[in-house]
Amino acid sequence: MGILNDLWLGLQEFGHFLPIMMMFIGVIVGIMVGVLPGLSPSIGVALMLPVTYGLDPISALVLLVSVYLASNYGGSITAIAINTPGTPGAVATTFDGYELTKQGKPLHALITSLTASTIGGLVGTIILILFSVPLASLALSFESYEYFALGVFGLTIISSLAGKSPLKGFISSGIGLLLITVGFDTQLPFSRFSMGIPDLADGIEFIPALIGLFALGEIFFSIEKGDDKKVEKAAKVDLSNTLPLKQLFKLKTLILKSSVIGTLVGCIPGAGGTIATFIAYDNAKNSSKNPEKFGKGSLEGVAAPEAANNGSVGGALVPLLTLGIPGSASTAVLIGALMIHKLNPGPELFNKEPGLVYGIFISLFFANIFMFFVGLAGNKLWIKIIAAPKSLLYPLILALSFIGSYFIQNSVFDVGICIAFGILGWLLKRGDFPTAPVILGLILGKMIEENLRLSLIKGDWIDFFTRPGSLIILILALVSFFLPHIKRKLKKNN
Amino acid sequence: MKNYFAGIILVIYFGLLGYLYLGLGHGDAYPAKPITIIVHSKPGSAIDYMARKVSEIARKYSKAPFVVENRSGTQGLVAMKHVLDNKADGYTLLGVTKSFLSTVMVNKSKVKLDDFLFVANMVSDPEAIISNENRGFNSIEDIIVDSKQEQKQVWIGPGTGSRDHLMAIKSWEVLGIDASWIDYKSGPQSILALLRDESAVYVGNPADIKGKTGLKIISIASDNRLSSLPDIPTFKEQGYDLSESMWRGFAFKKGVPDEAVEYVTKILQEVVVDEEWKTYCDETNVFSNFEKHLEFTQRIEQEVEETNYYLNKAGLLATYQEQGQIPILFMFILIISIVFLLILAFNKFIIKKINYDQIIAGGIISISLFFYYQTILFSIPENSDVTNPALIPRIWIIVLLLLSIFLIFKSRNKSYEHPNFMPGRVVIIIAFLIVYLISMQWIGYFFTTPVFILSTTYLLLYRKPAFMIINAFGFVIFSYFIFNKLLHIDLPLGWLFI
Repeated sequence: MGILNDLWLGLQEFGHFLPIMMMFIGVIVGIMVGVLPGLSPSIGVALMLPVTYGLDPISALVLLVSVYLASNYGGSITAIAINTPGTPGAVATTFDGYELTKQGKPLHALITSLTASTIGGLVGTIILILFSVPLASLALSFESYEYFALGVFGLTIISSLAGKSPLKGFISSGIGLLLITVGFDTQLPFSRFSMGIPDLADGIEFIPALIGLFALGEIFFSIEKGDDKKVEKAAKVDLSNTLPLKQLFKLKTLILKSSVIGTLVGCIPGAGGTIATFIAYDNAKNSSKNPEKFGKGSLEGVAAPEAANNGSVGGALVPLLTLGIPGSASTAVLIGALMIHKLNPGPELFNKEPGLVYGIFISLFFANIFMFFVGLAGNKLWIKIIAAPKSLLYPLILALSFIGSYFIQNSVFDVGICIAFGILGWLLKRGDFPTAPVILGLILGKMIEENLRLSLIKGDWIDFFTRPGSLIILILALVSFFLPHIKRKLKKNN
Repeated sequence: MKNYFAGIILVIYFGLLGYLYLGLGHGDAYPAKPITIIVHSKPGSAIDYMARKVSEIARKYSKAPFVVENRSGTQGLVAMKHVLDNKADGYTLLGVTKSFLSTVMVNKSKVKLDDFLFVANMVSDPEAIISNENRGFNSIEDIIVDSKQEQKQVWIGPGTGSRDHLMAIKSWEVLGIDASWIDYKSGPQSILALLRDESAVYVGNPADIKGKTGLKIISIASDNRLSSLPDIPTFKEQGYDLSESMWRGFAFKKGVPDEAVEYVTKILQEVVVDEEWKTYCDETNVFSNFEKHLEFTQRIEQEVEETNYYLNKAGLLATYQEQGQIPILFMFILIISIVFLLILAFNKFIIKKINYDQIIAGGIISISLFFYYQTILFSIPENSDVTNPALIPRIWIIVLLLLSIFLIFKSRNKSYEHPNFMPGRVVIIIAFLIVYLISMQWIGYFFTTPVFILSTTYLLLYRKPAFMIINAFGFVIFSYFIFNKLLHIDLPLGWLFI
């Protein structure tokens, strides 16, 4: 058995003091990176990159991969606790996670998210080990036509995010789509809509916008409603009220399915874990027995995006290791790390250094398990933070949002963007406009425009429908768009 | 107990302030403190790696360490502007690459190349043309023959107006090829397209395809072969006078003391003869090409002309329109007023008061129309086959307009009132945030943050002094250790003190 042999080689490579130590450090740093708003996985990995210069290749990569993995989980903690997605991949977790917290059940959400993340990560790793070669051809077969179709598919998810008023949901997503066109044109080196402001020439930085919309928007809104005073008394969280295993066990098929979605979308270069989480959320809602609970504190709504998010880590490593193409911003940094250690990412790596590649796989496996236990221990701390008086907590979140927006590019302008989006989020929230579609628009807008225009240069409109890949995705998009409406109609008729 | 704890926190805080600010005094002899290398791209990129390698090797020779700091954005303008905003005291070095020439020209920015003193060039990274093995190309000749066939040949690479793009135009001119350029935006996406064999040629650097199979470097545009890739021929060997390399070096802001330039030049000179530097060059397939200030500056002057010529040829210079700021602001106000007058007029017929949904919808309509007005000012180069940059924004604008108008109709019978809403405190907090943001730049994170946290906490009606102190100052201490110490992100100390 070739794979077993390679795994044994990998175990020998990984099973030393330093790599194991690096895995521990990586997981802990990763969770912290995830928890801090503004520090996305890719920034966390980039921050750790200089640290790895002095390490041997396996320890260096284990450290970075562990940071990458654990930060994807860490983002969900703040998403659940304070409605601030610590990482872009945790946006979908806020929908139900924060609702559960508001209902006094943050521990349910936290444990579900931890379990789903861990299983997602494990499934992703196993798929990576067993199927990286066939998946590489999937990644390779994605052309601009399919990326465009995937973007459109992503947009249809709005109909399940919109809540009470689909109209308002579509308006929100339109705002996101329009705002992301600010900045450099996708084909020409000219800036659009920047109004002569040099800092806007490159467009709106995504993470400050995200922090603003969610963290600041939520704080402004709840201060206006006077929630800070109410919650202070009711904030005592019942620690004994932990989640019965049975309830968690019921989620097993959903978690497995979402993990696979996450891994598959994750392995498409440039699509990324964030889109995977939305697709998984949408899919969970559409296939759920209780779709009406989504957005009001459904455990399924927490499990699905989290499993997908961590599944995408294994997925993103597929094109990196098999083709030498980074699948996400974080893996782009990993390429840098490989080169620094005189390793060339790509098919050569598998042949020349099987021990190293499989050592990384094995470390991912153990990192997942270690992450689970660190997460369990951490939950006690998060609960305490959630229970703190809001009037103490809010100023800290505001300050953290500031640092988070600032150091992405060391730019004061980005902090301004964060405030502006905070105000936007607040204004939208008070009118019952959902804010998540704005984020979806920001994420998908570039992908849709870039690939539509690239496709039109290469070919014609008709190509979107004659290529099997893009046709299938477009049909899925149609189904996903109309299914919730049809279901609702059917239910009414019954 | 809690008062005691608050006291300890305060003592630590003031200790931290002393540690941070008292050490800021400058010595007389250069270099008295670390020299920062500003890099215009994210960690892991070619220039970032070079800067970090230099900083690593320089440790052997320099009294002061070189520290790399990444400031990405706007194709390098952000980094350039940052260096120009700093004092010309010789402690801020900019990593420069040939791509900056196009950046400055295409963006017509206020940043000029003349603002910089180019200290030294370090490497030259030859451009290469690369094909998929399936095409069966073995030499330039094969590509030229292929280009004479019916279908127009496609060349790809990242960027429009990028060095790779200009290299393509230059090659077409020298080789007599009529081909089209498709911009795949990012290096990875271009390589993927090449792996799928979507194009005849990919333009990039030899290091781009390291470790990948199925791809073949047809030729490199340097004077000699690379010692790390001895089998790859140059254009010159095949009879074409074509050389084009990306260089990477360092620059200061003009006006730095001579001793700083001399010192850095001396260190860099020592770096390039180090054994480690040679290994670095071989690994990354580049030539070590050390040029001092004069030589480097002459090279840049020549290349500015050439770059100008090829950018013009690509139609990227003539079409740019300077957009005035004042008419745009005027337009915005005009649009907003008209839209809201219309909504009011509409309401007069139906109900008396404007409601919140309509305000939001009106705002969105105004902004959409304002964006639409700007799309009229867009222009595209004549001889290029790109789609109209206004196409997609206009689609979104029209969708937004229709949806918002629909919302105004739909919500016409709603009333504005929301129970228990008091936006007053929110407005104060937003004002706090803005004051915090502005003052942080001047007097630094460590002074402003506790003030901001304390005042916001007070505004939210919290009144236990000991906990307020622990919360505010404890957070500052905590964030110092997490960011400065653990993650090596320096929180701003303030312009007034540096």
